[in-house]
Amino acid sequence: MIGSGIKRGTAELAVLSVLQDGPLHGYELARRIEQQTDGALRFTLAALYPMLYRMEQQRWIRGSWETSANGRWRRCYRLTPIGKKKLLPLQREWAELFRALQQLTKAAHA
Amino acid sequence: MPNWQEFVGQRLSGLALDVAEKEEVHAELSAHLEESYESLRAEGLAEQAAINGALSQVADWDKLGRQIQSARRRENTMTPRVNRLWLPSLVTLLVSIFLLPLLESLGLNPQFFFLVGHHDRTYGLSVYTVWLATLPFVGALGAYLSRRAGGTRRAIIISGTFPALAFFAVLLSVIPYMGLLEHRLDAGARSVFHTWTSEFRHLGVVAGWVLLPGACLLIGVLAYIQTLRRLTQRGVSSV
Repeated sequence: MIGSGIKRGTAELAVLSVLQDGPLHGYELARRIEQQTDGALRFTLAALYPMLYRMEQQRWIRGSWETSANGRWRRCYRLTPIGKKKLLPLQREWAELFRALQQLTKAAHA
Repeated sequence: MPNWQEFVGQRLSGLALDVAEKEEVHAELSAHLEESYESLRAEGLAEQAAINGALSQVADWDKLGRQIQSARRRENTMTPRVNRLWLPSLVTLLVSIFLLPLLESLGLNPQFFFLVGHHDRTYGLSVYTVWLATLPFVGALGAYLSRRAGGTRRAIIISGTFPALAFFAVLLSVIPYMGLLEHRLDAGARSVFHTWTSEFRHLGVVAGWVLLPGACLLIGVLAYIQTLRRLTQRGVSSV
């Protein structure tokens, strides 16, 4: 299980990455992240929406009311061009961080 | 099943946000709780256990309220209502108004229809058919702008049909003074005006400036919503 501090840092990356595949409403977004990370990243309602609203303020994502596949009126989020631009450097930063940590742990074991 | 909307509304009643924005947050969060509850029920949990499971996602509602408020604080001074309702409505109104002289300047003048009323009196009606034909696109534009800003269904419909509502408001304020206006006209103009201010006047004016344009605008709004629904059914995943 990943600690809460790291989770917080990766949360935005997780949201942006999942929205890359298409628009989703909040509940489905949380479910998709949980499924795709085998439960390592789990968003409760209390953690998800303040973050989504903040990301919306930063114009990384945009929410709009739409009818979902099951006919319900839901607020769906999609990536904005700013969000798309933000995603690649974020992915790179996190990849570099994990690579650095791996090297560090390898060096410690050697 | 609990009334999630009411539950969230009570827990987050103190949100210091614009009324529309507050309603939106309530609707969104209650939808999330409802789906969590339904998912837990589908997994076989008893009703009370599913309710508790859904509610366990929020330990402190006051804290959540503060976090939401802080996250939604606008950097710009425009409220969501301005972005989602008033701006799209204004655009729709201006476009519909300026389209009239534009079309006329292109030679697309109104068509005249003559109706025979009481005492064989003939009433002339000018119908801006081309203008009316463009209004569905104007309605769709208003709906698009409202939705793009995150407008609710109500805001989308009002934004798209706003010109008809505005015309109606103007007519309501002008109609009482029609008689006064007629009195001030010279005899020749008065006879022309009289046909306009006859027994058909209210119906004719309201139909020409409110009902017909309103219907055309609404067609555009509904077509937009329908198109969007079809697109999202293809593109938006859901449980």
